[in-house]
Amino acid sequence: MELINTLIDSTILNHTFQIWMSVLFTLMMLSFLFKDNPLYKLGENTFLGISLGYGWVRSWEIVVVPFLIRPLKDAYLDFQPYDITLILWLIMGSTMFFRFSRTKAWVANYYFAFVFAYVAGYEIPVQVQNLFVQGSNMMKPLFEQPSFFEISKWFVIIFGTFSGLMYFFFSKPHKGLLGKTARVGILILMINFGASFGATVMGRIALFIGRAQVIADNYTASIVLAIIISIFLFIYFKYLQKEPKLDDEQMH
Amino acid sequence: MEKLVDILKKLDRRWIFLLIFLSCIIPFWFPTLFKQEFSTSKETQRVYDIIESLNEGDAVFIDWAFNPTLQAELLPMTEQTIKQCFDNKLRVFIYYPDLTAISLGENLVANIIKEEKYSKMEKGVDYIHLGYLPISIDMMIFSMYSDFKSTFGKEGKIFKGIKTFNDIKYMISFAGSAHPEYYLLLQRRFGFRMGAGVTAVTGPDFIPYLQTGQLDGLLFGLKGAAEYENLRLKNLNVSGDQFKKEKKLNQKANAGMASLTLSHLIMFVFIGIGNLIYFYEKKYKKSN
Repeated sequence: MELINTLIDSTILNHTFQIWMSVLFTLMMLSFLFKDNPLYKLGENTFLGISLGYGWVRSWEIVVVPFLIRPLKDAYLDFQPYDITLILWLIMGSTMFFRFSRTKAWVANYYFAFVFAYVAGYEIPVQVQNLFVQGSNMMKPLFEQPSFFEISKWFVIIFGTFSGLMYFFFSKPHKGLLGKTARVGILILMINFGASFGATVMGRIALFIGRAQVIADNYTASIVLAIIISIFLFIYFKYLQKEPKLDDEQMH
Repeated sequence: MEKLVDILKKLDRRWIFLLIFLSCIIPFWFPTLFKQEFSTSKETQRVYDIIESLNEGDAVFIDWAFNPTLQAELLPMTEQTIKQCFDNKLRVFIYYPDLTAISLGENLVANIIKEEKYSKMEKGVDYIHLGYLPISIDMMIFSMYSDFKSTFGKEGKIFKGIKTFNDIKYMISFAGSAHPEYYLLLQRRFGFRMGAGVTAVTGPDFIPYLQTGQLDGLLFGLKGAAEYENLRLKNLNVSGDQFKKEKKLNQKANAGMASLTLSHLIMFVFIGIGNLIYFYEKKYKKSN
């Protein structure tokens, strides 16, 4: 056991090893930008495997043990009437496994029905409340707003929403006033999509910057591993890659 | 001209990837070449001001609803929020609705405490990691006025006078999804003030909540985090070596801002080129 612990300490928990692995996997994933290759596949599957394994162990430790196993143990030692609820939830939750059976899958529906009903009962009133808050804010006296900018926002929201809706009104041909309103509507929608796209690009680049920082900070590891990966990719694409079979081509 | 258009049209996209890659990485190696200054947005200022206005011992609830994949944008702003809370001697409750967020949060707080300034912060007294509850179930539990202590099975001095969201003075949710919206629904019931720190992708969805005043402030993507860092540094009232030391510790988002600007510039250039080619071809085809 001690040997295993020492081995783990000097490999997985070792700081230098962690940095090199971090850089290696970042470069492996980025190699996809050149072409789909086995290194990318290895990185992708490792990530998925580790995420699932980690998630499963953490769920067991943090959810199942403290909220079910431990209270059930306590109930076994000292049973109280309210412990029946625990057994009820255990049975309810276990019915989910009936989904694996084709003929008995309906048993799980009772659990789903309960959850959906509960969530709907909780969500609907609060969502309606939220809509009222949003709506009532639009009904404040317009010219009491603090600035011209605030007043102009009201016009953009009201007329922007109206003209945007008119674009999707197909019961009448888009001619005359309706056509012009629909044209304004599509412009408003395009501005909105443009703003969302811009924000998305900014977000994606920001995520990449996180990885770029890892590569930039550990340039020795980055250069060494980039050279090794490049050599591998060269050998793979030059000599090892097989011609795709008909089935593979159809799959892609 | 036609030859150039043809070359640009057939340009392998991998050259663009390479340029974006270089534009992100080069500013980290030559930071002095890409120095930039930017103003603080009203939304970021509001988050800062509200936390500053809280009294010593007030409870701040931090909802850590992001996993390591979003740490580039959200970790720096979360770090600054926690540090500001510690500076003002506020009690910090950190809650994780994401399993993979727990170790991220614990590591961040452990690193903050390693700094000399925050070395006296005690777990269970000044801050606490409340733990995990499955997403969406958590809102139902919170809305039933459940006691934090019994819900999460935790103990500590920090819980003195703090039972439910009724006792929380400020709540801030860091997420890359619509998770802060759930707290807006809770807000109707408990009436706490609320801010959010979100990624640039989800940011525009939260603007309507700022307009209605449901959200008091918003930290928007990497830029929001960088603004917040600068704001904290500016108001630290330290100078000389101490300022340099603080600056070194609190510039994680700012370090990425030059990369963000440069990569955007390259994208603008290529979008412009693409449009020019489109209009040129349209005109050329028409004239033929």
